[in-house]
Amino acid sequence: MRPILECQKLTKKYGNFFALSNVDLSLERGKIVGLLGPNGSGKTTLIKLANGLLTPTEGHIMINGLEPGPATKKIVSYLPDHSFFNGHMKVKHLMAYYADFYRNFSTERALKMLDALEIDKDKRLNALSKGAQEKVQLVLVMSRDADLYILDEPIGGVDPAARDYILRTILSNYSENSTVLISTHLITDIEQVLDHVIFLQNGQISLNTSVDEIRTEYGKSVDALFREVFKC
Amino acid sequence: MPWNLDDDRPIYLQLMERIQHDIVSGTYQPGDKLPSVRDLAVDAAVNPNTMQKALSELERCGLVYSQRTSGRFITDDAGLIRQMRTEMAKEHIRDFFVQMHKLGFSDEETLDMIRRTLKGETHETDS
Amino acid sequence: MLGRLIKYDLKSSGKLFILLHGIFLIFCILMRFIYMDRLDLLAPVDEKMLVVSLLLFFTIFTVFVSALMFYTLMQIAFRYYRNLFSREGYLSWTLPVSGIQHLWAKIISGCIFMAADTLIVAAGILILATGKNIRNAYSLIADEITLQLGMTIGDFGLILLILCLASCICNVVMIYFCINIGQLFPGHRVLCAVAAYIITSTVIQTGSLIILFIFGYFPGYEFFAAEGATTFDFMINIYVISGVISAVVTVAMYIASHYIMKKKINLI
Repeated sequence: MRPILECQKLTKKYGNFFALSNVDLSLERGKIVGLLGPNGSGKTTLIKLANGLLTPTEGHIMINGLEPGPATKKIVSYLPDHSFFNGHMKVKHLMAYYADFYRNFSTERALKMLDALEIDKDKRLNALSKGAQEKVQLVLVMSRDADLYILDEPIGGVDPAARDYILRTILSNYSENSTVLISTHLITDIEQVLDHVIFLQNGQISLNTSVDEIRTEYGKSVDALFREVFKC
Repeated sequence: MPWNLDDDRPIYLQLMERIQHDIVSGTYQPGDKLPSVRDLAVDAAVNPNTMQKALSELERCGLVYSQRTSGRFITDDAGLIRQMRTEMAKEHIRDFFVQMHKLGFSDEETLDMIRRTLKGETHETDS
Repeated sequence: MLGRLIKYDLKSSGKLFILLHGIFLIFCILMRFIYMDRLDLLAPVDEKMLVVSLLLFFTIFTVFVSALMFYTLMQIAFRYYRNLFSREGYLSWTLPVSGIQHLWAKIISGCIFMAADTLIVAAGILILATGKNIRNAYSLIADEITLQLGMTIGDFGLILLILCLASCICNVVMIYFCINIGQLFPGHRVLCAVAAYIITSTVIQTGSLIILFIFGYFPGYEFFAAEGATTFDFMINIYVISGVISAVVTVAMYIASHYIMKKKINLI
């Protein structure tokens, strides 16, 4: 089977600044992968390239063997690191919007999760608390049967209870053939759910290995290793 | 509740230990059906692949067996579980003695203290 | 998918658009009965008052129409920018839809709004100008004007309307083109889009004037010096030339937008 995500000599330049340089990467199916690195290391750039929100300066990025386009967007479910909905829309209208455009969106699943979270579907997004807004976004993203979920800082601004719920949501919704790519700098919180970690440093991959390998080899957690690698 | 896991050891090892403990302590009875990998993983808040690895390892030791269609079960072999229990107890005892050595107690002193502790004495009466 | 994109475009700004244009139509109907129908154009009591009040009324009317047109343009521009290049763009661009489909959805929905705006303004003018007193007054000068125009005022108005509708496409494409140009810059993208708009419109206008000058239509003395030329002939010639210029410019701007939407997307 083709890797779900593949980068070949992927480079993205902003002016004279290399946000990513010469990244080679291949993600297997059925894994939960952590994309780790300090701010400005190129995590979001990589994610935006995978979603076709940026055009590579050089090199290629392929989703399921295809350059980002309508065909890859059908199978990628993406959660940006900030709000990306029209705040004037009601939650139920956002669900209708997703159902209209994504064939793999399950309204039933979304309803179940929104009910569990006690979110009022007749409210406008703006009228919800910031935490609730983030939950609505995650629920919609995770209610798709995607091949690749790309979650950019999904646990950034939420409280610990919500964080547990989010991790649980991710764990119970992804299927065995789908891959989840989670970018974060809060490693301790998600270390246990990851198979694999990729460390990004100044736009380059400095480590690409499994969590248990790190623990066996270094005798320390990914978080501890991260602190060591990225020591200021 | 997510399971409590240490930071410095492989996660699958810790999951194995936890399930072994649950079997030995009777939380799971011999012959019980185990929850699905996904449910266990969600319960522990760990990656399903890691949980899968832990269960496969347990299968290799024979504590757990899987039936192709109906899932995974705890072994019916009470002897094996007893043996496992003894094994774990020995492990604890060994660890305990190592700790006592570090504190400077000889094996004899340690044993003596254990006896006295069991009799209900709370303070040392060496004087 | 194109249909769905258009549906959401129309839905998103339809309410306010309908409200504002509804107010305009009600204003026109009220003015027809309160003001226009009561005018005595043939034998006014006070001629000066009549002229002053007409001037005042048409000033207000023009301001109203300009405001509506400005609102419509802004609404189209903001929808395009917000939906594709602000934070919402992260959702729009991850729908299973190509950039070209987005562009066409926006062109079609934009043209629908612009055309609706034009038609509603035309309807407002019709409501105001079709009272019996006005028709009677006009009939006195109709022959002269028909002679000047080379056709009846009705036909002339219809041609003008069709030209306005056609120019909607040009306006819409130009807005999108300028926003797209703004997106090519690393920062201050809205400002760059506004600058692109000012530069583009200046270039188009200057270019048009130069071309009209070359063909001898600007200034128009030479044309009128020729024998038997009517105002209409003059205007229709100018419209044909401007039309051709607009069509060429629109196609060029579309091609540029197409290229940017296909190859040069970089959301901040």
